[in-house]
Amino acid sequence: MQGLTAALLAWALLHPGGGGGEAWPTHTACRDSGLEVLYQSCDPLQDFGFSIDQCSKQLKSNLNIRFGLILREDIKELFFDIALLTKGSSILNFSYPVCEGDQPKFSFCGRRKGEQVYYAGPVNNPGFIVPEGEYQVLLELYNENHSIVACANATVICS
Amino acid sequence: MMAPNVSCLLLAVLFSAGCKVITSSDQICAEKEANKAYNCEYLGLREIPDTLPNTTEVLEFSFNFLPTIQNTTFSRLINLTFLDLTRCQINWLHEDTFQSHHQLSTIVLTGNPLIFMAETSLNGPKSLKHLFLTQTGISDLEFIPVHNLENLESLHLGSNHITSIKLPTNFPTQNLKILDFQNNAIHYLTRKDIDSLKPATNLSLNLNGNDIKGIESGAFHSKIFQNLNFGGTFDVSVILKGLQNSTIQSLWLGTFEDYEDQDISSAMLQGLCEMSVESINLQKHHFSDFSSTTFQCFTQLQELDLTATHLKALPSGIKGMNSLKKLVLNVNNFDQLCQINAASFPSLTHLYIKGNMKKLDLGAGCLERLENLRKLDLSHNDIEASDCCNLQLKNLPHLQCLNLSYNEPLGLQSQAFKESPQLEVLDLAFTHLHVNVPQSPFQNLHLLQVLNLSHCLLDTSNQRLLAGLPDLRHLNLRGNRFQDGSIPKTNLLQTVGSLEILILASCDLLSIDQQAFYSLEKIHLVDLSHNNLTGDSIAALSHLKGIYLNLAANNIHIVSPYVLPILSQQSTINLSHNPLDCTCSNIRFLTWFKENIHKLEGLEETVCANPPPLKGVKLSDVKLSCGITAVGIFFLIVFLFLLIILFTFLVKYLLRWKYQQF
Repeated sequence: MQGLTAALLAWALLHPGGGGGEAWPTHTACRDSGLEVLYQSCDPLQDFGFSIDQCSKQLKSNLNIRFGLILREDIKELFFDIALLTKGSSILNFSYPVCEGDQPKFSFCGRRKGEQVYYAGPVNNPGFIVPEGEYQVLLELYNENHSIVACANATVICS
Repeated sequence: MMAPNVSCLLLAVLFSAGCKVITSSDQICAEKEANKAYNCEYLGLREIPDTLPNTTEVLEFSFNFLPTIQNTTFSRLINLTFLDLTRCQINWLHEDTFQSHHQLSTIVLTGNPLIFMAETSLNGPKSLKHLFLTQTGISDLEFIPVHNLENLESLHLGSNHITSIKLPTNFPTQNLKILDFQNNAIHYLTRKDIDSLKPATNLSLNLNGNDIKGIESGAFHSKIFQNLNFGGTFDVSVILKGLQNSTIQSLWLGTFEDYEDQDISSAMLQGLCEMSVESINLQKHHFSDFSSTTFQCFTQLQELDLTATHLKALPSGIKGMNSLKKLVLNVNNFDQLCQINAASFPSLTHLYIKGNMKKLDLGAGCLERLENLRKLDLSHNDIEASDCCNLQLKNLPHLQCLNLSYNEPLGLQSQAFKESPQLEVLDLAFTHLHVNVPQSPFQNLHLLQVLNLSHCLLDTSNQRLLAGLPDLRHLNLRGNRFQDGSIPKTNLLQTVGSLEILILASCDLLSIDQQAFYSLEKIHLVDLSHNNLTGDSIAALSHLKGIYLNLAANNIHIVSPYVLPILSQQSTINLSHNPLDCTCSNIRFLTWFKENIHKLEGLEETVCANPPPLKGVKLSDVKLSCGITAVGIFFLIVFLFLLIILFTFLVKYLLRWKYQQF
């Protein structure tokens, strides 16, 4: 019984305001040959699913990924921002247009708010070797109105 | 020990339940426009909240929970014109749901797992124009109740399980303009399918992501379409053969990064000879044998989009493309501009070569045969030139719009755009410009109205930089620096007296001379945001009236009373994100702020920085009572001073009187 009370107390502490502070679970996007990619959705309204097909320190070009999410916004235009940090200092900031009016790169471009999207395919990335260490990655997908479509806090551990 | 624990548990359960009730009833819809437009997204609502007024016209109600909707669900909101019910987990649309909603013109049902829509579920609206049934699990078009669709202009049926576009025989199509079947499972189009769309005129049909494998021959015979989209089709020749004898304004045949496609050979484009198309898009395809014969069926074409088609060059000697007006060659692999062999397209008015995958060399006179060119986009190409642009853009006498933004450094001499004297819009943003003092690169652009020089690292001390622009209305100088962070009395703006819009944001400005803008008499918008200006710089605007003035994100603490009349004479002012002082020393401004609140923009972000207890409080909420005003203090001091003088005299007199006694 004491244990239950403690559990309840812990639950109450972890859920201030009855659900407002709930965080999405941390998922594993891939874990293989010395490389581990973990992510957590930072969109307060929804989680999303993401995985990378081959995971290795020697990251191949044109990786295949899978993701599934519900669109909160129309994505006629969609942009991708990535910020890479290690030990609190920024290494790389990058922005990439995924869907544009005059160039919808992917088949999912132009889909509408409320649609469930599942994508399994290439991402057209360059190949590179990941140096050993732990990295924090902030990923953000947003549309032309700067409305969030997806947001993730990821951790990359290379050992 | 047991009892208290159980009660504790109960208490915890009750507490958590109580919390949930409070949070759900606490959340209210956001008001977008008073009494008219409301946003209730993601609130977990199970019904229309009582707080919504009966006059609501636009209601965004997506991501809530309405398993069943019926005639009582929205009955109170009879003025609805737009209703978004995206992902509300709707299973049932019962009879007469919208019976009393005569004004309703748009219903969005995207992403609902619909089980059944009653025959009369869409009855009521007098003119229902747009219906979104995207991803609702529809496999049979008979699912859609047809009774009240006579006025329908757009029908969205994307991401369903539809295998045939054939509309039911009684389906009214006379007003239909957009029919969207994206991402379904349609593989064949028959003559009957297309005939079912017959009464519709100028229809746009979207079959993107359906991989059409066959079209019955003659299916499109003498049919007219506004837009046809077959994006992502594996074999484009199937489409082009199937479209025989049709008339299409715009045909989209591009593919995507994640789709397999067959390389396009010249033979596969033969079908284009048998149809009439004005505009065609082939983005992201590969061509197997690119030659001048590839284009033999493009003779009637007016617009051609070859974005990201892996082109290294366009073949020379293409014949018969005299009618092409617009050519898009973005994201290809050209080394030199001459490789596009522009002479093949003598009628071209619009040319877009943006985001080339390699560093693009402009060469010399590569576009000189394009005498009719009106618009040229060469942005994002890593173009570098030490002496631009007369040789490179030779003989473009009718060019009106030139985009050279996001390139490598360009050196500009005087009259750098002499070859295009008709220029009206020139965009050089984020391209570093080297201009030697006192050169005037834009000289003689008599018709130039818009000039974007943001982040060009200009030498702003060159007072002749903007000389020779008699008609310039819109000047963007964002992100350029001025010597010592100040705009002096004599500056480069003195030659552009016709300016209406001036952007000097993010220029690291500390001050502006009182007379710096004296020559600008026609101006109606000045953006000085994201600088380090203080309140005194406002004096530079004393001669201007009725302008939009953006002073957001500056270093304004105190606004002196003498500049308040200058602010008063403007139409809209943004003072947000400034470290404003909310003490009595700024009381005149604070009073003025309240009196002119209708002129101010960004009120939510216009907050006090000082004194510490008021930090972060909105200026509009500050109530300050300063007992003694500055004038009051002055009189008090004078009074005290007089009192002291009187006292000393009195003491002196008394002492003298006392001594005289002895």
